[in-house]
Amino acid sequence: MKKVRGMRVIEYLLTVLVIVTLNFALPRAMPGDPFLVLSDVEEEAAVLTEEQRQYYFELYGLDRPMHKQYLSYLGDLLRGDLGHSIYYNESVTTIILRRLPWTLFLVISTVILRTIIGSLLGSISAWCRGNFFDQFLFFNLITISEIPAFITGLLILFVFSAMLGLFPLAGAMSHFTTYSNWWDKLLDILHHAFLPIVTLTLARLGGIYLLARNSVVSVIQKDYLLTAQAKGLSKGRILLWHILRNAMLPIVTRTFLSLGSLVGGAILVENVFNYPGLGLLMQEAVNVHDYTLIQGIFLVVALFVLIANLMADLIYKHFDPRIESNEEATA
Amino acid sequence: MSHHKEYLLKVDDLSIVYTGEDDKVKAVDQLSLGLKEGESLGIIGESGSGKSSLALAIMGLIKDGEVQGKITYQEEDILAASAKRLKEIRWQKIALVFQNSLEVLNPVLTIGEQIKEPLRRNAQYSAQELEERVIELLELVGLNPDWRDSYPHNLSGGMRQRVLLAMALSCEPELLIIDEPTTGLDPVTKDEILQLLKKLQQRMDFSMIMISHDIGSIKELTSRVMTMYCGQVVEVGLTDKVLRDPFHPYTRGLLNSSPNLFKYKDLWGIEGEAKPGEGCAFSSRCCQSGANCFGARPPLEYVAVERRVACHKGGIEEFLEARNIKKTYQLKDKEITAVKEVSLKIKSGEVVALVGKSGSGKSTLAHSIAGVLDVDEGEVYYRGEQVTDNWATKMIGGMQIIFQDPSSSTSSRMKLLDVVKEPLEIIKWEDREQRKAKAIDCLKKVQLPTTEAFLNRYCHALSGGQRQRVAIARALVTEPKLLIADEITSMLDPSTQANLLRKLKGLQNQEGFSMLYITHDLHLARKIADKVCVMNEGEIVERGVSFEILENPKHIYTQKLLTKAFKGLI
Repeated sequence: MKKVRGMRVIEYLLTVLVIVTLNFALPRAMPGDPFLVLSDVEEEAAVLTEEQRQYYFELYGLDRPMHKQYLSYLGDLLRGDLGHSIYYNESVTTIILRRLPWTLFLVISTVILRTIIGSLLGSISAWCRGNFFDQFLFFNLITISEIPAFITGLLILFVFSAMLGLFPLAGAMSHFTTYSNWWDKLLDILHHAFLPIVTLTLARLGGIYLLARNSVVSVIQKDYLLTAQAKGLSKGRILLWHILRNAMLPIVTRTFLSLGSLVGGAILVENVFNYPGLGLLMQEAVNVHDYTLIQGIFLVVALFVLIANLMADLIYKHFDPRIESNEEATA
Repeated sequence: MSHHKEYLLKVDDLSIVYTGEDDKVKAVDQLSLGLKEGESLGIIGESGSGKSSLALAIMGLIKDGEVQGKITYQEEDILAASAKRLKEIRWQKIALVFQNSLEVLNPVLTIGEQIKEPLRRNAQYSAQELEERVIELLELVGLNPDWRDSYPHNLSGGMRQRVLLAMALSCEPELLIIDEPTTGLDPVTKDEILQLLKKLQQRMDFSMIMISHDIGSIKELTSRVMTMYCGQVVEVGLTDKVLRDPFHPYTRGLLNSSPNLFKYKDLWGIEGEAKPGEGCAFSSRCCQSGANCFGARPPLEYVAVERRVACHKGGIEEFLEARNIKKTYQLKDKEITAVKEVSLKIKSGEVVALVGKSGSGKSTLAHSIAGVLDVDEGEVYYRGEQVTDNWATKMIGGMQIIFQDPSSSTSSRMKLLDVVKEPLEIIKWEDREQRKAKAIDCLKKVQLPTTEAFLNRYCHALSGGQRQRVAIARALVTEPKLLIADEITSMLDPSTQANLLRKLKGLQNQEGFSMLYITHDLHLARKIADKVCVMNEGEIVERGVSFEILENPKHIYTQKLLTKAFKGLI
């Protein structure tokens, strides 16, 4: 048992190391160097002189041997230093920490919403499997989830913000406003975040809905459900303890595992709604070829996915007692 | 017996039809039963005979099916009860021990939780009391209470069975329905569970319906037994009577397939597949089905005290009945009674072994029955008609005898083929070609060559074993329904003997062929006999089902015989 846990920790640490190494190696494997682009920002042919290049190389330590660069990169990371943004001339960590909460806010709200709504609709569908309501839900949700998020986003933005003017067109908060209390501030934030969250939720609803529907359908057919009925248990107890408790297992795993891809989805949606999260930052960084920043964002996103995975592992174990003993058996 | 007990559970004309996507499956077909308080009823039948559906219907748990008929529990109509009332009846009054599998328990709840779950409905229990009750229940079924915090997947099959039992007993039901309590368990655990059930029934005094295809468990635990086939009841009776002497061919088929009933006998399953149709549902697989079996469904009728059978022929047919056969031999001035007023019955599809030492009168009895010897007293009936002349031996599908000494039926001066087909010549069956074909067919059955050269050999040129086989082929040529075999295999080598006996047993199983097998070889008798008659000094001293006579003989002579015969073995 202990041994298994130890193995898990080592697995995760190795993964982190691989990600960090890739993150270090990939930009360096690309042709050219950052200073070529930096000098090309304004699309003027202001090429740095050889001396200036040399200066920058030394400044950023790029003239040192690879292994030394790698070691100092690792050292910096351990201290939480993601480097210095060449374009913004600011610490990458600071920039990312400023933007990260917005993306997390979008992703977490979406996850909660779509898990609850998706499971609910899926359960309802499973409950009245085959009748009109089930077919209606099935058809519509699958259709919606097949439409790319940015198209849904554009459509929603166009209708609700541009045409109806119900929601702001961009941003996460109103500019130049002082809030009289935290409640007003919260309302303002929710007002801005509403459409991006709705878009993301809609785009991701289908998967959870299908999963919940299948999961409940398969649980309903299990023998232990007949046992529960034979025991004369109340409907509520059967639904909660026997159906949902079991049907939840795959949904929980899927929820955590999908956090990573949701960050990807958020990047697109943030661009549509001009929402100041990591996604928008990434787009900006790509536009100006700010490698340090891109590297930093990649690393944070990758770590986020990994943490989500770890949480899925830990939480699943808590919900499904069969997991532990399987591990024991394989150990 | 002084006062009449009302039925606790009564099922009348129950039919369950499962409506699938495109076909309908009739799981239970006009079934009726009655269960009195304190009674334990066994239900046997192959998989798919509707046993489990019946159990679910009694609890009002049939979902995707149409249920017709009436189920009355303590004068309350289960099928008409409201959902609320059903919840009260379930587990409080009728509880079900589901067929053991990992799937019947919720994988994410601890077994303690699953045991106390039904008790939670009664608000008067505190958490502490619930816990105590779980411990008490687990102790009752012989499982360490420490297991209550484990999950179903942590338990072995036997432990899970105990948990299922504890769960079913949690509300102290009046009626316990147990579905296959011993499947998949090792012999030790199986026995433990059976003993536990016995003990619990005595202690808690619940009525019981036990569904099983394990005849041993049924024998151990029930007082009455019901055989189900294709959702219908084909036989009902007292358990020991039915298991000893089944009246319905299907019940007998089930018993013959049960390894734990006949320890030494070969196993024979029931041939064919269930094809319920217009007539008797079993007719397609029955070894004695006749024309009228396919027309209408036979009603369940009394054929004996406490015994009802659904069969157009009133149960397994009686092929032979010998009444009070007496035969004396006249020696110079002494009269020796070889057979003293012996009666004997042989049913269709039955192998009756007549055992005893040489000179006990076995052969005389056999010859008397076959009509080879004139009897002094007594009559013989073949399929209900008295045997006079030789009519019963002079027909296709009649009675045939094979003698111990093959030379008595195979004349040395005749050619082998002529010997074999002679019985057909006598009754002028079909034409020459067909007679020959039939003879060759029977020779193949006894594993003799069928080349022209061999067929034209004279019988005196054959070895003893070959000649015996020719004699057997000669007897089989008229497709007898009853074969009287007097030590027929004593001259055969073990391999030919084994093959021949298997062939005869196969015929028995498929066509309801029966045999009076006279032997002094108890090992063989133990292998093939369904019933055994032990003969000593012209009398049958003990008779009965082979598993009882050979396992547990009552008569001192039988005991002596068995000890001698099995000395080297047991």
